[in-house]
Amino acid sequence: MAQRFPAWIKKRLIYSETACNLERLIDALALNTVCKSACCPNKSECFSQKKATFMILGKICTRSCGFCAVKKGRPLQPDKSEAERVTNAVKALGLNHAVITSVTRDDLEDGGARQFYDVAFKIKGETQARLEILTPDFRGKKEALDTVLDAHVDIFCHNLETVPRLYSRVRPEADYKRSLEVLKRAKKRIDTTKSGIMVGLGEREDEVFNVMRDLREIDCKSLTIGQYLRPTKRQLGVYEYVHPDLFNKYRMLALSLGFKHILSEPFARTSYM
Amino acid sequence: MANVTLPELGEGIKSAVVSFWHVDKENRVGEGDDIVEMATDKATFNVPSPVAGTIREIMFQEGDTVQVGDTLAVIEE
Repeated sequence: MAQRFPAWIKKRLIYSETACNLERLIDALALNTVCKSACCPNKSECFSQKKATFMILGKICTRSCGFCAVKKGRPLQPDKSEAERVTNAVKALGLNHAVITSVTRDDLEDGGARQFYDVAFKIKGETQARLEILTPDFRGKKEALDTVLDAHVDIFCHNLETVPRLYSRVRPEADYKRSLEVLKRAKKRIDTTKSGIMVGLGEREDEVFNVMRDLREIDCKSLTIGQYLRPTKRQLGVYEYVHPDLFNKYRMLALSLGFKHILSEPFARTSYM
Repeated sequence: MANVTLPELGEGIKSAVVSFWHVDKENRVGEGDDIVEMATDKATFNVPSPVAGTIREIMFQEGDTVQVGDTLAVIEE
């Protein structure tokens, strides 16, 4: 039988020529998107608005985060043509805002930082698009992060994903303080830093508040808070469906703490804002 | 005739379950009207009609599992 969801966990699929063309282009250029790989419920809506988040460095991730639908395993070597293929997509779509993310590549010495730089540098150099990147933590390696930051992107995102108490279950190979350090270091070079968390994993309100406070301490001004949705039976179960009223409360709290951009709603995702 | 099919929902999602039909056979629908609510493991989705017309066939009942690419309904434009 179909699982029952609360009334607010509902999206409308959107069929459109724009979305079909975008899918065809992505396939033709052999690109990956986190939208597809993570089974994002906003995909048809975003694709219909010509919005997609390109996922570089392959579609196999070296980490085993409990929430994520991206395949885990041993990835292929980085593809030298990737920067050109992604840039061609940005050009063909005429994007004025491009978002690039990646799988986590703990198998590579630099965590894939050089590939990130190459893709970002080419997009910045050859298109007018404002560029937002959503990166992994590069295992806290400062040189790797600095390599990426050398590309002078417009927006730097790194997701904290959840409250520190739940890291061992939700993102066991990550470290809350290390992720904060990534955002802190990026802020020295890039004015706009951004992070995102999921709720509904068993966190308490006071813990969410503490995450917001930690982000404001490192002058992060953009935040997304969205409902965790279990992509398939292989991922962690949903602890609770957070009521829209609580999302609204989180939004008000974030504004009171000085966040400039806050999207707090069930289907909020990092690059949905 | 236009076939309303279950589109690809994400990598690894091969099917969805019919929650309920918003319409009956022979009902008139406008383009973009929701015709059926489906559920995956992740969320509930409303599937809109891609065209305006009359519902001629409903291929699955509530509770049925539908594979991506299957025809959900047939609409005469």
